[in-house]
Amino acid sequence: MTELESWSVVAGLAVGTFLIRYSFIGLFAQRDMPPWLEHGLKLLVPAIFGAIVASGVAISGGAIAGWTHWPRYAAALIAFGVALRFNGNLPLTLISGMVALHALTALQGWLALP
Amino acid sequence: MEGVRNTLIIVPSYIPFALVCGVASVTAGLTTSAAIGLPALVFGGSAQAVVTQFLQNAASLWIAVLSGLVVNLRMMVYSAALAPKLRHLPRGKRMLVAAFLVDNLFAFLQQRERERPGDPHWVEYYAGMTLILWPSWALFCVVGVFAGNIIPASWQLDFAIPLSFVAILANSVRQMPLLAAAVGGGIASVLLFTLPLKLGLIAGCLCGLLAGLLVERMQKA
Repeated sequence: MTELESWSVVAGLAVGTFLIRYSFIGLFAQRDMPPWLEHGLKLLVPAIFGAIVASGVAISGGAIAGWTHWPRYAAALIAFGVALRFNGNLPLTLISGMVALHALTALQGWLALP
Repeated sequence: MEGVRNTLIIVPSYIPFALVCGVASVTAGLTTSAAIGLPALVFGGSAQAVVTQFLQNAASLWIAVLSGLVVNLRMMVYSAALAPKLRHLPRGKRMLVAAFLVDNLFAFLQQRERERPGDPHWVEYYAGMTLILWPSWALFCVVGVFAGNIIPASWQLDFAIPLSFVAILANSVRQMPLLAAAVGGGIASVLLFTLPLKLGLIAGCLCGLLAGLLVERMQKA
């Protein structure tokens, strides 16, 4: 790609993304938010986070992680349990999830589990 | 300062993804200067990844940019959610807040709102988080551009990204409709993963919204 083509991609994406981010904060800031939208947002936010978590866990290397990737799923469940128990404590959740993933992957190797 | 501390914890979770994004922007054929500008100006990993993937598959530039923007449409939800709390700020400050709005910053704000509703200092908190997240993201993308992927895949550090959202999710799904929205969004986004243009993520979120509304209606009945 030429310098001009490369930078037009960067500029297009940067400007478009900013307009998306600024949409409600700036462009339509003067209007009151209709109640149905406010209500929809309350449900849409956990739906987005759920989708980020699920696709981050279940999609690995550009494909859906099959059942041989069970340590990923198990570790995610363990981390979720820790997060529930400790009020969403971030360091504990991160550490327990990563330790569980590596421990279960090692276990899978030693015991020659599928 | 609390924002700084909270964000430092999750920086390692993003390093592998940033490196991959940096490597991908070079292999997709962006010039070096554009590959450095991309993370700094766009500041959004999944959009960067999608754009470079489309460029690599020799898609037209328009399609590549458009697909990246589709991935970022979810930020409109964040913008709408923050808008009422930002009304009192002057335009310049609102633009600054908007410019750095990404998933984890928004997620942290949600968490803080639950712990301290109506906190007047949340803009400072947000600034503290941005101060760490933006430069570190750009830095590790640039490291990827020049040095390639320096963290071994066997560390499975990519797994830390969904984990950092697990913590926040656990706190936000303590009511049935919210739980249904999260579970529905999660399952649907994986099932719809093969949709083109990464539309699976957006379609999945809408399915989650429907699931939440459905459970709400059932509770009322």
